[in-house]
Amino acid sequence: MDIQKRVDEINLQFNDNLKKTKLTGDFDNLYLKYFSKSSGATTLLLKELPKFSEEDKKKYGPLLNDIQNTQKEAIEQAKILYQTEQILSPLIDLTLPEKPDETGMLHPLTHIIREMNDFFRYYGFSVAEDREIETVEYNFRKLNLPEDHPATDLQDTLFVKQPNVLLRTHTSSVEARILTNYKPPIRVVTPGKVYRNETANKSNSSFFHQYQGVVVDKGITMQNLKATIETFLKFLYNTDIKIRFRYKYYPEVSPGMGVDIGCTFCGGNGCEVCRYRGWIEVLGSGMIHYNTLKMCGIDPEIYTGFAWGMGLDRLVMTKFGIPDIRKLYGGGMVYK
Amino acid sequence: MKVPLIWLKDYIDLNKNPKEIAASFTSLGLMLDKPIENDILDLEHRMDRADWLSITGCARDLAAFENAKFKFPKVYKEKGKEPTKESSVEIKVECPDLVNRFNTRVFRNIKVKESPQWLKERLEAYGMPSINNIVDITNFVMVELGQPMHAQDIDKMEKPEIIIRRAKNGEKVKTLLGEEVELDPDIFVLTQNGKASVIGGIVGGESTGVDNSTKNIVLDAGNYNQTNVRRNSRKLKIQNETVLRYDKYLNPELTQIAMERAVGLILELAGGDYYENYDYYPKKKHTNPMTLRYKRIKTLSGMEIEPPKVKNILELLEYKILDEDKKGLTLEIPYFRTDIEVEDDLVADVLRINNYEKIPVTLISAAPPKEITQPIYKYEEKLRDACSKLGLHEHITDPLVEKNDNDQKQVALENSQSSEKNSLRTAIYQTLAPVIDMYKKQNILKCGLFEVGKTFELTGKGDSIDNYSEKRVLEAIYYKENLNPYKTSLKVKKLLGGLLKEMGVQNHYFQNEKNQTLIKQEELLIGELKYDSFTIFTEKLQKAETANTRIKYDISASTSEDISLVIKVGSIVGETIKSIKELNSSITEVYVIDEYQDKKLGENKKGVTIRIEIATDKSSAASIKEKILEVLSQNPDIEIRI
Repeated sequence: MDIQKRVDEINLQFNDNLKKTKLTGDFDNLYLKYFSKSSGATTLLLKELPKFSEEDKKKYGPLLNDIQNTQKEAIEQAKILYQTEQILSPLIDLTLPEKPDETGMLHPLTHIIREMNDFFRYYGFSVAEDREIETVEYNFRKLNLPEDHPATDLQDTLFVKQPNVLLRTHTSSVEARILTNYKPPIRVVTPGKVYRNETANKSNSSFFHQYQGVVVDKGITMQNLKATIETFLKFLYNTDIKIRFRYKYYPEVSPGMGVDIGCTFCGGNGCEVCRYRGWIEVLGSGMIHYNTLKMCGIDPEIYTGFAWGMGLDRLVMTKFGIPDIRKLYGGGMVYK
Repeated sequence: MKVPLIWLKDYIDLNKNPKEIAASFTSLGLMLDKPIENDILDLEHRMDRADWLSITGCARDLAAFENAKFKFPKVYKEKGKEPTKESSVEIKVECPDLVNRFNTRVFRNIKVKESPQWLKERLEAYGMPSINNIVDITNFVMVELGQPMHAQDIDKMEKPEIIIRRAKNGEKVKTLLGEEVELDPDIFVLTQNGKASVIGGIVGGESTGVDNSTKNIVLDAGNYNQTNVRRNSRKLKIQNETVLRYDKYLNPELTQIAMERAVGLILELAGGDYYENYDYYPKKKHTNPMTLRYKRIKTLSGMEIEPPKVKNILELLEYKILDEDKKGLTLEIPYFRTDIEVEDDLVADVLRINNYEKIPVTLISAAPPKEITQPIYKYEEKLRDACSKLGLHEHITDPLVEKNDNDQKQVALENSQSSEKNSLRTAIYQTLAPVIDMYKKQNILKCGLFEVGKTFELTGKGDSIDNYSEKRVLEAIYYKENLNPYKTSLKVKKLLGGLLKEMGVQNHYFQNEKNQTLIKQEELLIGELKYDSFTIFTEKLQKAETANTRIKYDISASTSEDISLVIKVGSIVGETIKSIKELNSSITEVYVIDEYQDKKLGENKKGVTIRIEIATDKSSAASIKEKILEVLSQNPDIEIRI
């Protein structure tokens, strides 16, 4: 076996290949051709080293290692040179403007709901959903809204089959289902669609979105309600906002509580946005009504709880600068 | 509720400016609704507190909140003269289910004239024009105490009687505003001699109205079924100050106090003789006493309020303490508090007058309960992310659509205001596809859209909720200008394939059934495919078998074989081609790389090239390929071209 001849051949061939590759840039293949574990020419020759005579080993061992290193280095250097040349090529003008790759967009509402869910998950809340076609029992009765209550008027509710089947008018129906189906302790938030019998305009649509929270456990008080709301609002807006708690009646809670934030547009001096109140009403809340707990099978003498609810659409419109609720839901919003 | 400060100050001495007064009202439950103008506070009213539709009701709570003295107006307690034959007006109620009380008095020889300045001033500040002293007094007492009142000219009545009955179908009344209103038996009316002159609880009539020539009047204060008044006023589209109050729960006891107040004012401002008349009040209203446990205040608020403070607040709100011990109080509920339902409402009164701002802020200390978020919720979130990765945009569209009479499964609404939105969608495609027009308008000529939402179906008849099914669905639609349906379908299938790959769902296949192409994995139906869109039933997809085969750590040799086929146009060979994958475990993918038409292939023939990816080296692949060719040649619709 003429080892020297094979060494010369490999070297010659390699130099020739390297020259060609310098034009194509396919250095990875060149590397494999010489250094692939199973079929690389240089590698195979090196693998034969143990079979050489002692004399040849001494002579060719270091030489072959040298060749291997030189070839690898040559490929590496040629590769860097090639890439540099490519970048510097007059054909490439990196300063030209481009049309960006398309990416898919999530709906603004999805972003807001995810942000809020993340916040509440951190505080141990689960996310709950339920039916949109509901019964009068879960949408009204269990929430302490008896027959003939003004809020249950035909005018405001979309009925599927009078008098018992309707489209839920608030996510409180999910609250009623959760309180009925689960035993305390309960901590859930419920984002979802709700429906009202309204003619669509800039700020009202026949369907919109609410976000509700429910907590029931032993020893839950209004102090916990205030703390939860305060922490949440500071997360949602910013830590400097002013928050006002005041009495407000809602049929499904007692005591009820309205929550406002100091108007961020006028700093509380009164402007059109806050209707010159200096405050913007952001959500309704309260201690879950004694009768609601009872009707859902929870003993109100042992457990107490609170609930709060808010509309999501106005929040989304404000955060994303969308002026018309109809645009938000299929009526004229595109992603570019 | 408009509260002119000039009027409010008749009942409370308070040295505060309008802004400070508005802030106190807001804290106790009457939020300022509109900017303060001319010292008039416009307060938002919620439907519970009927007494907050009176200036005294607002003043009483404000006084309690400010710990100031509340002065109730002077009432005239003396009885009138015994009714004579000449004076008496006969009262008869023929619909006792709608009338709880009908309290009346008669005045003779009064002088109807202009009201004094103080009265005019208050009414005008409230926003009511002054008419004459009698009409103004009834309006004044209504706003002051919350009880609507009504005076009729006896001499204009055909007979001295007021008979209250349900209206007849088609019966008409000309209202005080001169408008003729047609009635029906749901509505009740005040009549004389068979003729309706007043729509009960809603609006008075022109025929018996009081004017400057009036000498003798019958004054009434009624208490009616509030649901009936609310429904009928809405039906007749009549909204006024009377209806505003009558559609809340008023206590019949209030009619007596209002009457005593009005009598005093009439005698003072119009003179004349005052006679008792019939007070229809068959079932006296009783309110049961209630107990308030001090510990309940602590349970709800987490804070202690000293018993003397609790008692002081309740007494300022005019609760009467009937009994008390260490644990709490037994209370008589004031007649005007028709909203009090449970003990917690009493707690609410104590806390709000004490001011909510005083309740400390304490985070929940208990450990969080077990997570109950349904897996499908998280799964759909992943689907959203997968779709956006594929470049699809998320939209949310209105599930309400126009009724389609041919769709037997559609859930229709019984009372929608809009004929374009009187049913629920049975497919998201119905509401999502129109969004493409918005993209076209924006000159965006290529778009992929998706929505995750619900579709609704009628599955039976009757009232049961089980007859209305809600299906969770993901819909995706693709549009590109000038792309023919065939090429669109290739893109749609690529998107679907990418989505399933991202979700780890393998081995899906398509099956034609009836006029649909179903997307399946073994026996599981996971969706439906159309040329421009696909529908995924998310709860089904969630059940599909998954495997994450995208992470390869065994980097061994892999090769691919292309096979050209000639296929009869119109034949369906997807299943045969898909079955190749089952032949050998080394086969990783089988898919179409080219589909073309060429005259050389013959009449009604098309060329299809498939690629088979095999995780082995070239030599082992050869034997696998032979097996594949054998399977393909068994299908009479397939010709192998190679």
